[in-house]
Amino acid sequence: MTDTQNPAKAAASQPGGRSALRYLLQGERPYMLYVAFAIMLIVFSLASPWFLSIDNFLNIGRQTTLVSIIAVGMTFVIISRQIDLSVASTLALSGMSASLAMAFVANNWVVGAVAGLGTGALIGLLNGVLTTRLEIPSFLVTLGTLSGARGLALMVTNTKPVIITNEYYFAIFGEGSVLGIPAPILWTLGVTIAGILLLHYSVYGRRVYAAGGNPTAALYSGVHIKQVTTLAFVLTGTLAGLASLILSARSHAARPDVVQGMELDVIASVILGGCSLFGGRGFVLGTLLGSLIIGTLNNGLVLLGVSSSLQLVIKGAIIVAAVAFTRR
Amino acid sequence: MIEQGSIAPFSGTPLLRVEGVRKRFGGVNALRGVSLEVRSGEVHALLGENGAGKSTLIKILSGVHVHDGGSIEIDGKPVSFSSPARSRDAGVAVVYQDLSLVESLSVADNLLLGREPKTRLGFLKKRQLVAQAEAFLKSQNIPLDARAMVGSLPFAYRQMTEIAKALMGDVRLLILDEPTSALTDDEEKILFEAIRAVAARGVGVIYVTHRLNEVFRISNRVTVFRDGQNAGTFVTAQTNMRQLVGAIVGQDHAVLKADGAVSGQGMTPSVVFSEKPVLELKGVSNDRLDGASLELRAGEIHGLAGLIGSGRTEILQTIFGLRPAQSGEVSLDGVSLKATDPAAVIGLGIALVPEDRHVQGLVLEHSIERNLTLPRLPYFSRLGWLQRGPASVHANAAMRRLAVKAPSALTLVKNLSGGNQQKVVFGKWNEPRPRVLLLDEPTVGVDVGAREEIYGVIRAAAAAGSGVLLVSSDLSELLQLCDRISIVVDGRITRTTMRPDFGSAEDLHHLIQISQPSEEHAA
Repeated sequence: MTDTQNPAKAAASQPGGRSALRYLLQGERPYMLYVAFAIMLIVFSLASPWFLSIDNFLNIGRQTTLVSIIAVGMTFVIISRQIDLSVASTLALSGMSASLAMAFVANNWVVGAVAGLGTGALIGLLNGVLTTRLEIPSFLVTLGTLSGARGLALMVTNTKPVIITNEYYFAIFGEGSVLGIPAPILWTLGVTIAGILLLHYSVYGRRVYAAGGNPTAALYSGVHIKQVTTLAFVLTGTLAGLASLILSARSHAARPDVVQGMELDVIASVILGGCSLFGGRGFVLGTLLGSLIIGTLNNGLVLLGVSSSLQLVIKGAIIVAAVAFTRR
Repeated sequence: MIEQGSIAPFSGTPLLRVEGVRKRFGGVNALRGVSLEVRSGEVHALLGENGAGKSTLIKILSGVHVHDGGSIEIDGKPVSFSSPARSRDAGVAVVYQDLSLVESLSVADNLLLGREPKTRLGFLKKRQLVAQAEAFLKSQNIPLDARAMVGSLPFAYRQMTEIAKALMGDVRLLILDEPTSALTDDEEKILFEAIRAVAARGVGVIYVTHRLNEVFRISNRVTVFRDGQNAGTFVTAQTNMRQLVGAIVGQDHAVLKADGAVSGQGMTPSVVFSEKPVLELKGVSNDRLDGASLELRAGEIHGLAGLIGSGRTEILQTIFGLRPAQSGEVSLDGVSLKATDPAAVIGLGIALVPEDRHVQGLVLEHSIERNLTLPRLPYFSRLGWLQRGPASVHANAAMRRLAVKAPSALTLVKNLSGGNQQKVVFGKWNEPRPRVLLLDEPTVGVDVGAREEIYGVIRAAAAAGSGVLLVSSDLSELLQLCDRISIVVDGRITRTTMRPDFGSAEDLHHLIQISQPSEEHAA
């Protein structure tokens, strides 16, 4: 990392006990992210008459749910100096698992949820164990599970979707709402708050930072790095499982070929949100904002009628530019 | 410039003349008019505590910073370097503490990195590259194998590669920033010879160090900075340790009153330690140890002396659960220690201050508080949730007790000086007291004042009943602190002596040397 920090300034900006809240709001690269988000909102509002409306914002919230939820887990993985490329495939397999469990075991939403979350957790565990016990770089391990889990998802039904009929399931994960806020957005908020508590207020979170900030020093300080890292993968896998429930509840079916390539949006959100790929830095709220920025970008470009191919190009350029900018 | 002692008759212009140079950083006066004169062919030592201004002057000479006032002349011509490239063009080369070599490449590859001889199609001319590097090393009288892989070299030879790399091109002034902080005496000797060879060719050498005894072995003259000002320039042959320490810390400083601290002649053993060992190794062997046996008593400071690579560090690592013991037994309070990971060992009351604080001891990007509390997070939590109050109270108390100089507990550790960083590493293990404190080179890269404070912390730990096992390459440090010293050779303890039988640093050095097996394996 090349950023040099002025000691006097660092001390001045963190007086006493309120620093935790401040840290949550600012992260380590304050303001730039918020400025980028604000500029984007203004540009799209001026360019499209449909952009600035509650309905559209709820729309953006729903569209970014999957990425946001998984990105919270990915924040833990990346802070601990690892990467998880398998999240989209994990989501697909978890969805198949949930829908098949409801079709063949019992048509009960609890059964579906346990199957979906459990499958995600298991793949996370596999990623974590292979990474820490066999000491294979997580890039390679999760590249393997990316392929393997997708293959399994396609195999179980011979690529056919599985229809879901459970009304409770739809309500809880997809179509219900509380005080007008749709369930997927509530799930996003819940996961984000839980993530903030776990990362910034728990012993486990502190260890994640240490394991990624300097694994050797953490080991010498008695941190069980392998457990800490494995748990980060399990967390991410489980959240991919949760995302699969939300997606399949929305479409009343689980399909094995969904969300291919979504891992890139997830990782981009985390990095855009201020995490360092070299570990040890990042914060959950930044990740959420990163994901919202990418979601808003997608939404705004659609409203402006930009062709989907050009959307990809613009999105790529903006992500790289934004990261380069916030890195200063 | 205050010049003490007469100097060999000298006429003509010096290679480098720094006169009244000033530099401010914001509100901090880093340099308040310092002067320095280096002649060609001279090794000029530069001493001073951290923050005295040595680094700032070096950064000005190397073109990283521009000075605010005063003058710098090379060969009588005024210069001001606006960039490192300009400084380099004027013939100034700097070797920094942290090596900047590619370990997976050979010495020759490293020397010619970026200017490799190549064919017109861009292919590397390997044979010519090695030949060019060998010719250069020979012309500089540097005893290095151009084909050796840098990662496989002992530290002194890597350091030498770094110096050779700095000397590529037309170098007039070579600046060495603490080149020996990780070297054994033998390695140091090799390096010093290389430095003398360089000076003999007419290059002026500025040698920055914390180690006073080196000054006497390598330098012709020595300049001391204190608080951004000159505290004296001495002809090395006409000064002594006491005078230099006086200049470094200021005459009224407490260090001088503790006589033992300066002369290296230790204090009397203050503690009558218990007879029952708190920690015992019986014939412990693994990949690096070969039947190591050792007894550590409560309240004792027990030194491990030996060459780098003798297995001193590995003994500590084995006790700490970082290396499994294949045979033999480690026992704590008479109970066999089966733990094989640091977390369990820490739980039993064993603490390690590791050799490399940047890599093993600290998370540099994190705050002092985070680092201090890391080994004991459960103490500061309830049901897995951190209690920020107790953690912050603990951190502030530890900082006060160890006199860590920092604006607050939330200051990032990377912004601290070496001595204060090391105090933070000690602070991780200070409270509650560990049963056994393992120390690996605890004062490397730490300035004189902070070193004394760290010695105080070590003595206090022993006085409170911890058994302290101390690995150090600094023999006077061992003599000053230890109640007993064991010599480590090839993963075994060959001899243990009690304080009354220590003798001088020279005796101890001799003891280490004669304990070596006959075949010398130099690089």
